[in-house]
Amino acid sequence: MRTKIALALGGVLMVVALVMVFIVVPTEATMGNIQRIFYFHVPVAWNAFFSFGVTFGFSIAYLKTRNPKYDFIAESSARIGIVFTTLILLTGMIWAKPIWGVWWTWDARLTSSFVMWLVYIAYFIVRSFITEEERRYRFGSIIGILGFLSVPIVAISIQLAPTTHPKAMIFNDGLHGTMLATLLISIFAMFVVYFLFVFLQYDNCKDAYEIAQLKKKLLKESE
Amino acid sequence: MDNLGYLFAAYTIIWIGLAYLVWTAMRKQKANRKEIEILKEKLDEQK
Amino acid sequence: MKTFWKAAFAIAKKDILLELRSKEIISSVLLFAVLTLVIFHFAFTADHETMTQIAPGMLWVAFSFSGILSLNRAFIPEKEDNCMEGLLSCPVGREAIYMGKCLGSFIFMLIVEAVVIPVCAMLFNVDVFNPMIIFITLLATVGFVSVGIIFSALSVNTRAREMVLPILFLPIIVPIIICAVSSSSAILAGGTFEDIKQYFLIIVAFDVIFFTVPLMIFKYVVEE
Repeated sequence: MRTKIALALGGVLMVVALVMVFIVVPTEATMGNIQRIFYFHVPVAWNAFFSFGVTFGFSIAYLKTRNPKYDFIAESSARIGIVFTTLILLTGMIWAKPIWGVWWTWDARLTSSFVMWLVYIAYFIVRSFITEEERRYRFGSIIGILGFLSVPIVAISIQLAPTTHPKAMIFNDGLHGTMLATLLISIFAMFVVYFLFVFLQYDNCKDAYEIAQLKKKLLKESE
Repeated sequence: MDNLGYLFAAYTIIWIGLAYLVWTAMRKQKANRKEIEILKEKLDEQK
Repeated sequence: MKTFWKAAFAIAKKDILLELRSKEIISSVLLFAVLTLVIFHFAFTADHETMTQIAPGMLWVAFSFSGILSLNRAFIPEKEDNCMEGLLSCPVGREAIYMGKCLGSFIFMLIVEAVVIPVCAMLFNVDVFNPMIIFITLLATVGFVSVGIIFSALSVNTRAREMVLPILFLPIIVPIIICAVSSSSAILAGGTFEDIKQYFLIIVAFDVIFFTVPLMIFKYVVEE
């Protein structure tokens, strides 16, 4: 039920956000149309960080309680976090090509997103290397905790070098009226998409767990 | 100054990426539910 | 508190003694580290000025790769012959085991650095054998080892042992490498402590965070 609501709401919001971005919002003066990427790039970036934050929180909860459900949430959240990070990197590169003239520079924001991406790819690779369930959850939680702690330190240490990435305009009110409204709708749309995926993936993890249990039972009874 | 091609590419990637993600998760869910039912039936048969 | 340090030192001493008897790992790691420098020479044959710029980077590539090689071995002797169970049944906290393992690996890395830094200074004629650089290197090694040990303990319990450590370890120690390399370069270019103060503070913060958190969660890695 909650999945259906999230699916419907997410779909509507994504379309509304798209209409806002392409029809309602005025073209930005200096960068032109390409600036419209910003209305999705920024919400995706915030949600990526939020996803890994959720993974961090539920990893701690798993280690404290040993309830597999917490690991299912942590894993689902990290999964969409990776997808969001991939989208940030791709849309960022697409924006950078016409504006900076290159696909990639080793700028602070770009590098820290890239390192974050690598950490969580490793999270999934290592999980896949562990066959025993309880150990997979436990080690996954440890990586979920340490990985999240590294993200801000990477960002700070690269920030010492000069950056060309646009500053967060929203905090020093350089963003007004429809632009802000568009951004907020996109953020909300992404947020709903996040929950939609986490609901689905959480169920999938739970089902996979149940399947494994049933198979074990079957094997025992047939002996 | 327009770069509409780039803009179009960016939004296509976002939409296709997210839609594909949700779609595969929903398909996986269906497949899992089916498998659970089959396994449960088999278990009942053995009893 | 006293028993904690006693236990930690005992574990570190055990590891060092074990290594001193065979000298297998230290000799191959040292050879590997020096070989890395030799490969670098052939990879970039450059003038003295360029060499001065890239020397700190070469040092840290050599440290990271040889560090991975040795950290990978840190828990393998425990895994063989069920030594880990013996260690875990000792009446000491898991924190003491972590501390002891870190101390052992720290001393091991110090030996590697004590060889690689002078060799690099001689082979490439750059002044990396400099008190400030050595100080920064030591400080960075603390965080380097404390992250390495927890992931090493984790990776010996997975299917693809040797593969797991580098993919977890390298992205996490990126800040250490950035700060150590940047500050060493600044010193080689004639900078003072004021110029590297920010890097210094980040390394200290990294050391504190990535020592205390693994210390707290190490017990979850080695249970069973």
